Amino acid sequence: MVVKGLAYSKEHEWVKIEGDEAIVGITDYAQQMLGEITYVELPEIGKEAEAGDDLAVVESSKAASDVYAPLSGTVSEVNSKLEEKPELINSDCYEAGWICRIAIKDKKVEGLMDSKQYEEYLKGL
Amino acid sequence: MSSGTRTGEFVFEQKETIAKGSALYSEHIKLTDKSHIAAFAGFLMPLWYTSISAEHQAVREAAGLFDCSHMGVLEAAGPYAKEFLNIVFTNDVNKLSDGKAQYGYIIDAAGNVLDDIIIYRRAEDKYMVVVNASNEPKIKAYFNAMLNDEAIIDADNADRRLDNKPAVRDMRDVTSGSDCRIDLALQGPEAIDIVLELIEDEQIKGQIKELKPFRFIETAVAGIDCIVSRTGYTGAAMGFELYVHPDKAPELWSKLFEKGKSSGLVPCGLGARDSLRIEAGFPLYGHELAGPFNISPFQAGYSFAVKLDKEFFIGKAAMQEEAERYNMAVVRIELPGAKGIRPVRGNDAVLDDGGDCVGWVLSCAKVSDKQIVLALVSRDVIKEGETIGVYYLARKEGQVRKGRKQEVKKGQNVQADITGITLSRFAKF
Repeated sequence: MVVKGLAYSKEHEWVKIEGDEAIVGITDYAQQMLGEITYVELPEIGKEAEAGDDLAVVESSKAASDVYAPLSGTVSEVNSKLEEKPELINSDCYEAGWICRIAIKDKKVEGLMDSKQYEEYLKGL
Repeated sequence: MSSGTRTGEFVFEQKETIAKGSALYSEHIKLTDKSHIAAFAGFLMPLWYTSISAEHQAVREAAGLFDCSHMGVLEAAGPYAKEFLNIVFTNDVNKLSDGKAQYGYIIDAAGNVLDDIIIYRRAEDKYMVVVNASNEPKIKAYFNAMLNDEAIIDADNADRRLDNKPAVRDMRDVTSGSDCRIDLALQGPEAIDIVLELIEDEQIKGQIKELKPFRFIETAVAGIDCIVSRTGYTGAAMGFELYVHPDKAPELWSKLFEKGKSSGLVPCGLGARDSLRIEAGFPLYGHELAGPFNISPFQAGYSFAVKLDKEFFIGKAAMQEEAERYNMAVVRIELPGAKGIRPVRGNDAVLDDGGDCVGWVLSCAKVSDKQIVLALVSRDVIKEGETIGVYYLARKEGQVRKGRKQEVKKGQNVQADITGITLSRFAKF
């Protein structure tokens, strides 16, 4: 499932732009691939990340997967509910399973796909 | 074990092949999303259909059906089949009678474990040999090398060759015709009733009810010729492997679900197959056997399947040495594993209660709100019921930058991230 109105990275992160901030999570495709998610290592608030830097680690019983910063900025808030309920990423990856908010550096959003482009990208995998 | 200088190592380079759908692929894609199907040992196999934990639980409480058609099925036949198997196999084939099966190892002359296998005696001159999917090409090549007098069978006598040779064939190859067989595993407490419902003959039903573990009969299930064996690799007290012709496998699969649905039968993928065998304490080749730590059957806890009192088998001299000197052993550990607890992984450090590293994690499975771990630790250091700790190695670059170690050596002292207790070597269900 791909949601309209979000931006997507090739590493299967989604981004929702809200003013100067971006909400980041992983896509339905990513959570399907991981299976039952049992642990999320959240970034620290205040962490400065360049696009492509590692941001969080999502672990299922079978694999550990990096979540990369889809854009550059500073982590302003994390979804601490995931510490107790990492399975929110499985059940609701685009809403309750969000991972963190990032204050976007220089208001730059580059190199991401829209929902149509991401759907096409998934078909090619 | 450290296989030192002994000669006779069997070297095999596996070719990459393009994974193909198993005989049951058309069933799998009806039952699960393609994203849950992955290439494993040359076959596209379901990792899970709904979830690993639900499928695991179904096998413990009701029943699960596994497509195990990736497993290698070979046959050794003819007047010299028994002699041949007794040379290549660590257990004692002489102890088998018709309808009995035996677990053991294939070891090369240098002492390297090539595979763990099960041999089924169908007749005095006909044996079915079931090998691991990932090792099947290697074992076929090894047998062929021996039949062609190209393999060393005795490290102390490199010129020794087989005196007599069996007829070996691949029972999954089309050339085996109507004798072709692939493995479906029906495991869990409801498995017996499901099988019985698909058999009409009262006498056969009686035989199935009386069937003990590692015994099998050849009969029709749902009208389809099968080898019905009380084996499996889930630890379930009740369970069967049904060896069936690949063309008939989809029909048998469907009939088992028709009868089994009401008693809770679910299809199970490779994920649950792995978590069930870990919970039971069974080794998987490449993890608790051979693999990066070159683990021997003795270290794995299976000395009973290596018959050192047998006159000869390939690798016997190396196994005799190993039996006397092995100082690491596989243990089973229970750790907390509720959601939100970071799962441990292979190579994470296992610590005694003082924080000294005594070994490393080999496999881990999440079972309800626990993690069951198989680890290789110093032999006799950690006893059942004792507290044990685990240190998580860095898995990702970001964790290394935060100071997490990428490797912990034996004897090194680190702070445990999570603690649990040592369990019995094997679980009983």
